[in-house]
Amino acid sequence: MTATVEGVFGLGQAEREAALLPALTELTEHHRATCEPYDRILGSLGFARGAAFGSVEEVPWLPVRMFKHHVLKSVPDDEVFKVLTSSGTTGAEVSRIYLDKQAAGDQPRYLGRTLQAVLGEKRLPMLMVDTIGIIKNRRSFSARGAGVLGMANFGRQHVYALDENDQPDVEAIKGFLAKHGSEPFLIFGFTFMVWQYLYEVAREHKLDLSNGILIHSGGWKKLIDKAVDNAEFRRAFAADTGLTRIHNYYGMVEQLGTVFVEGPSGNSLYCPDFADVVIRDPETWAEQPVGVPGVIEVVSTVPRSYPGHVLLTEDLGVVHGIDDGDWPGKRFSVLGRLPRAEARGCSDTFSGGTAA
Amino acid sequence: MSPIQQRFPAGPDVEVEDLLASLTAEPEGGRLKVGDPRIVDFIVKFARKLLAPATARRFPELASLGFFLRRGEITKALAGLETSGDELRFPRGLVFHVPPANVDTIFVYSWALSALAGNPNVVRISARSAGAAETVIACLNEALAEADPIVAQTQRMVTYGRDEVVTSALSAACDLRVIWGGDRSVAEIRKSPIAPHARDLTFPDRASFAAISVDGWQRATPEQRRDAAIGFYNDSYWFDQAACSSPRTLFWVGDEAGAQAARPEFLALLADVVASKHFVVEPAMAVQKRVSAYGVAAEGHATSISFAGNAVATLELAHAADVPREWLGVGTFPQATLSGLDEFVRIAERKDQTFSHFGFQRDELVDFAHALAGRGIDRIVPFGSALSFAAVWDGYDLLSEFSRLTTVTG
Repeated sequence: MTATVEGVFGLGQAEREAALLPALTELTEHHRATCEPYDRILGSLGFARGAAFGSVEEVPWLPVRMFKHHVLKSVPDDEVFKVLTSSGTTGAEVSRIYLDKQAAGDQPRYLGRTLQAVLGEKRLPMLMVDTIGIIKNRRSFSARGAGVLGMANFGRQHVYALDENDQPDVEAIKGFLAKHGSEPFLIFGFTFMVWQYLYEVAREHKLDLSNGILIHSGGWKKLIDKAVDNAEFRRAFAADTGLTRIHNYYGMVEQLGTVFVEGPSGNSLYCPDFADVVIRDPETWAEQPVGVPGVIEVVSTVPRSYPGHVLLTEDLGVVHGIDDGDWPGKRFSVLGRLPRAEARGCSDTFSGGTAA
Repeated sequence: MSPIQQRFPAGPDVEVEDLLASLTAEPEGGRLKVGDPRIVDFIVKFARKLLAPATARRFPELASLGFFLRRGEITKALAGLETSGDELRFPRGLVFHVPPANVDTIFVYSWALSALAGNPNVVRISARSAGAAETVIACLNEALAEADPIVAQTQRMVTYGRDEVVTSALSAACDLRVIWGGDRSVAEIRKSPIAPHARDLTFPDRASFAAISVDGWQRATPEQRRDAAIGFYNDSYWFDQAACSSPRTLFWVGDEAGAQAARPEFLALLADVVASKHFVVEPAMAVQKRVSAYGVAAEGHATSISFAGNAVATLELAHAADVPREWLGVGTFPQATLSGLDEFVRIAERKDQTFSHFGFQRDELVDFAHALAGRGIDRIVPFGSALSFAAVWDGYDLLSEFSRLTTVTG
């Protein structure tokens, strides 16, 4: 059965693409007119200004790493309101995403509308699986801190599950549950922290999380050693803590405001109506059929202040089905990251990302 | 202080003081001389092991190394060191080699030439070394069984962690320090001082190019054109186009119309070679190539980019002077037309190393070298030879760097 969430997870694939294509074409023109480096890239690839595209798949993509090496913005310098940065795994490479006032306001609005689909309109009491230090210590303000701060808006009466030394604060968690555990409440954290600091503690202390709604993100890499994947994560939480309303989500700083959210029955991510994914064959770069893994391209009409509307990620994924799940559109999973490109060279400094 | 792992000769971990003490002790049978037969014999035996069919098949780069170290080649190289008149040649002294982590054979060339010059050597082998480097070390240890004991005493290859104490001790003790591995390695190692009389021989980041004469291309037979594509493939796809001598930009030298006509034919031949060699570009590398190529375009230096599958990417440079000098990913070729070689002279930089060529006359190339006048480009070599190591490298005659002259005036 397909339920629809008004305005956010409502469009079937054909309607979605019909709506996205003109919007993406307009955005492509907008960015070409306002971001010269972007225009040069498309020009050098042979796309004429004003070109029409036959499908979403045909709209040209940028590799997400472009934002680590180049200033790509579609607003004049004096209208830059905020520059978002994200550190990559090496720390040396940082994406720089330029926002004007409008874009800085749009992003939380789109994110809010998307998450309300699973959280409801009401702000719920919120258990943060992190330390308050992550947002208090401004000097070490990180992507993790920004994530926590951004999510905090969706709840109220926040309690932090870790103490200032990053150790589980069992008394704080028990106190939160005693006060709010008998009504719906919200839990947020990064996937590996939720597993390590909430699941393991809840199991040990037999905590009842059955009224919780868990929102988590950040990938499975750190949980591979523990043989925990999404299915095991859901199974263990349900069996040992009663928590069944679990929504993983996928998003990145280069397309902030757009998140792909796991549906109620689990194990598939869905695209909000203003977004889509295209799984590409890494050999031909054409779209893969359903069920065949490839490189994930994320598409969103949100980015207007920088040319981030069609991005090739460095993640691998697979579409499980189209218009056949909890919500309409494509449903997919993220399978992992592409390994870094390393070359055997005379210089020890060669590795992916050394290009200017 | 962390211990040093002895790779060649294989042995228990040692402290740096003990390593240096045994290296510099007076050897039985007398100190090494330039071209010492005890070293020559050892290296020839080692080369034979590299050329064993199973090894050479598995690591073609070790076969090239084996050829370089055959007795005939060694004799020829040493002949260049002969002195006359008042000059006498002697070993330089203790040489400390810091090779790059990811070219498996450079350390052997560097070490072998220094050993032939009669020096005691310490070579720092990266802990990340693998494959061919492991085979090299195994072959060295096998060859040691029949060697004079002085080889084991004076020639050492070691691995140690990120330990500045060891690097500093070896740096302070050496007479010559040889630093490979590019700009960052040079800057890093130079934090450890060397003795006032000692010198660094550095191999920083370099950029290399290829050029085809439009006239030469037009004169060439179909077989010669196909051989050019094969040579160009070997030059650029080995080492993922990231070696200092791997050509990156391809210049067409001659008239524009002729160049435009020749390009598709050359690229089609190259695509055939790439396909016949089953060269596979991993997805991450394919993305890296897009990032690099789009980057060149974003900066306004490329007017068009095209991809023939993941294996061959070409960029049309807006101006020849915009030539990118950084690595763009394997099989990524910016192209530009030059009216003549003199046009390259105007854009050459000190950083530029190898210029591999097809279709030029020898006197054109000699005139080109004279016009460059040593301001850039150290090697002008035919297609297919860009990666062939030589005893003259980066403008240095290595055997002469590894030795010193004493003059006697009667």
